[in-house]
Amino acid sequence: MHIPDGYLGPLTSAVMFAVMIPVWAIAFRKVGEQLGPKEVPMLAVLSAASFLVMMFNWPVPDGTTAHMVGGTLFAIILGPWAAVIGITVALVIQAFFFGDGGITALGANCFNMAFVLPFVGYYIYRALEERAGKVVASGIAAYIAINVAAIFAAIEFGIQPYIAPGYCPYGLNLSIPAMAFAHITTAGPVAAVVTSVVVGYLAKSRPDLLELGRKTPGVMG
Amino acid sequence: MESWVKKALIVMGFFVAIVPIGILATWNCGDAWGEWGEVQDTAHGINWTPRSYFGAPLPDYNVEGWDNKLMASIGYWISAIIGIALTMLVVLGIVKAIELHRGM
Repeated sequence: MHIPDGYLGPLTSAVMFAVMIPVWAIAFRKVGEQLGPKEVPMLAVLSAASFLVMMFNWPVPDGTTAHMVGGTLFAIILGPWAAVIGITVALVIQAFFFGDGGITALGANCFNMAFVLPFVGYYIYRALEERAGKVVASGIAAYIAINVAAIFAAIEFGIQPYIAPGYCPYGLNLSIPAMAFAHITTAGPVAAVVTSVVVGYLAKSRPDLLELGRKTPGVMG
Repeated sequence: MESWVKKALIVMGFFVAIVPIGILATWNCGDAWGEWGEVQDTAHGINWTPRSYFGAPLPDYNVEGWDNKLMASIGYWISAIIGIALTMLVVLGIVKAIELHRGM
């Protein structure tokens, strides 16, 4: 769901950057309060892992591909604000060095993948972990979160035919079903399996590393 | 380096080794929806190319001109290693900046 340059009109691009600027500012402040001897290497590892899992494209049965992001796992381990920073860095490098996701679309792509995704994943996990257990809760959270993020991306480029002719040619009637299909059938299950496997492993063998973000008082509020 | 960091890097090394399956998926099954360089869709009467404003050093995680499956896989490997190294460097740079800022 890396929206390329040329798909979003100037208004949408500008609004998405405007929304992200305060999010980035808060994230820097929150992460600054959180840095400890375990948190710093974890932040680097999770950011790199997010970059890497996004390179694994999986075939969607309609002749396209899709990938997971790692945002829910990131948020479960270090908290959603750390995920904002780490995934933003991965998306910036993807846009500038590899042309994956537009530079004018960075605000939108960060909103979907570095903000909506980790926050939705984090709060679904928090809501379910007592009843469902950490492994199941993390899988469900990852599945729903990537789908919500994909729908946001579909709305952002799907509204262009109505407000900015010459940009994305597909309207909401095509963009939403296509993005939902790719993430319900492919990216969602991949995200669910990978997230719950890692959470299950950490819960069993390194519970001190799981939910590191919650161990710093006051950070998650 | 703490043992869990070493373990995490080894696991990532394994996934870097097999990362070409990610690019082969797009060679065999197509790009992600809505990430096309051009759209020729006769069913919907759409013939459209998005405006492109910027170049990139390794566009599509590949070295320009390496356009067969083998060379694209090697380009993808190189891109994964560079991308992971850059991501970690930038994150650690941000951490350093926050620490310096806090120390003032």
